Amino acid sequence: MNDRQDSTCDSLEPGDDQRLLSALVDGELSAPERAVVEAQLAADPEAARRVAHYRAQKTALQALFPKPAAVPSLFLQRRTPWWRLGVSALACLLAGVALGLGLGTLSLGVDKPAFAQRADMAYAVYAPEFSHPVEVGADEQAQLVSWLSRRLNRPLAVPSLQEYGYTLIGGRLLPGEAGPAAQFMYQNKMGDRVTLYVTVFAKHELTFGTVQGDGRRTIYWASRGMGYALSGRGNEASLRMIAVDTCNALGGHADSWSG
Amino acid sequence: MSFESDLLVWLPQLRRYARALTGDPAWADDLVQDTLERALNKWRWRANSNLRAWLLTLLRHRFIDQLRARHEVAVDEEGAPWQNMAAPDGKVDGLELEDVQRALYRLPVEQREVLLLVALEELSYQEAAAVLKVPVGTVMSRLSRARERMRQLLDEGGDRAAAPSRPPLTVVKKWP
Repeated sequence: MNDRQDSTCDSLEPGDDQRLLSALVDGELSAPERAVVEAQLAADPEAARRVAHYRAQKTALQALFPKPAAVPSLFLQRRTPWWRLGVSALACLLAGVALGLGLGTLSLGVDKPAFAQRADMAYAVYAPEFSHPVEVGADEQAQLVSWLSRRLNRPLAVPSLQEYGYTLIGGRLLPGEAGPAAQFMYQNKMGDRVTLYVTVFAKHELTFGTVQGDGRRTIYWASRGMGYALSGRGNEASLRMIAVDTCNALGGHADSWSG
Repeated sequence: MSFESDLLVWLPQLRRYARALTGDPAWADDLVQDTLERALNKWRWRANSNLRAWLLTLLRHRFIDQLRARHEVAVDEEGAPWQNMAAPDGKVDGLELEDVQRALYRLPVEQREVLLLVALEELSYQEAAAVLKVPVGTVMSRLSRARERMRQLLDEGGDRAAAPSRPPLTVVKKWP
């Protein structure tokens, strides 16, 4: 029954001494307390060994768990169901972050999705087109949106990019990887064009990244079963801003229709 | 965007803490993601305060909920998630990292979390008290117990290596 004396017993309250030694390691003692404890350490080798051990534990824990350097690989895998609120916002946020951090060439998701390549190609083909850049013009915007929504079997929304000086000039239907895709085209006063490509993308994982080449840049992301890609030329920062805003705008829309 | 960028500053640390707490990278990533989603949904209702402490609090709540849902992963159980962690190599200040890792997951959760918050994340006692919703005095005692327990476990580990034939801890005394 002498076991009650055993200092290894968990239920024993640590003595003030041990608490002070522990607080010394964390720099949580006032100057006078510190002076007292340090004096004690000089006189008590056992206490000094304890402090050294606590310090070693701290160093070892920090060595065991170094701070992860980069964020992206974090969101590779994804469960599906109950997380719903805020997911679009999160995808946009992450896209913004990754691009903002200059990780634009990295992509989340295992591979770059085919829709991003298709979007990039569609931009390359149709953006330079002068006589027939779009199938249906923006003057029939309501018909354009309802037609493409019907073909994709999803309620589509066309964000306004007026804030960036881009006006919608129209859209077209394109063959996508697993069904139809929609391309909306915008143009600014200088005649520069950007396109927003939209298609069904059923993978339940956060996906975003960029595809670039030949002076073009396509920023893509996925949200709520849809894949989106914004393509353009020129200023990367402004394209990135447009993409993040568009993502937010569309995410908000998706929030409202999925309840 | 400024709340969001503030959030990102703490991402790597949140992730590290979640990994250390759970001993399971996949579980940790889920926790961090849940935490971010909550943070994004809730931030409007918050006055300016310590964002990191708040994030850690959110993360801890999720962790505790999930721990209950998993019926408390038994400490040191064979199938516990941390058993799948890669065994780290090397020695720091005389401690084998592998032993430190094993000892960490043998601590009761309330000792493990306070030790990680203070020794790994370097929160002040005040901040740790806020995250754990306990008085500063409790932080001090738990921390001290955690460190002593680690010390015992690590010393034991050394003994066991020296005398591998020693039976495991479950010795039941029989009284005549």
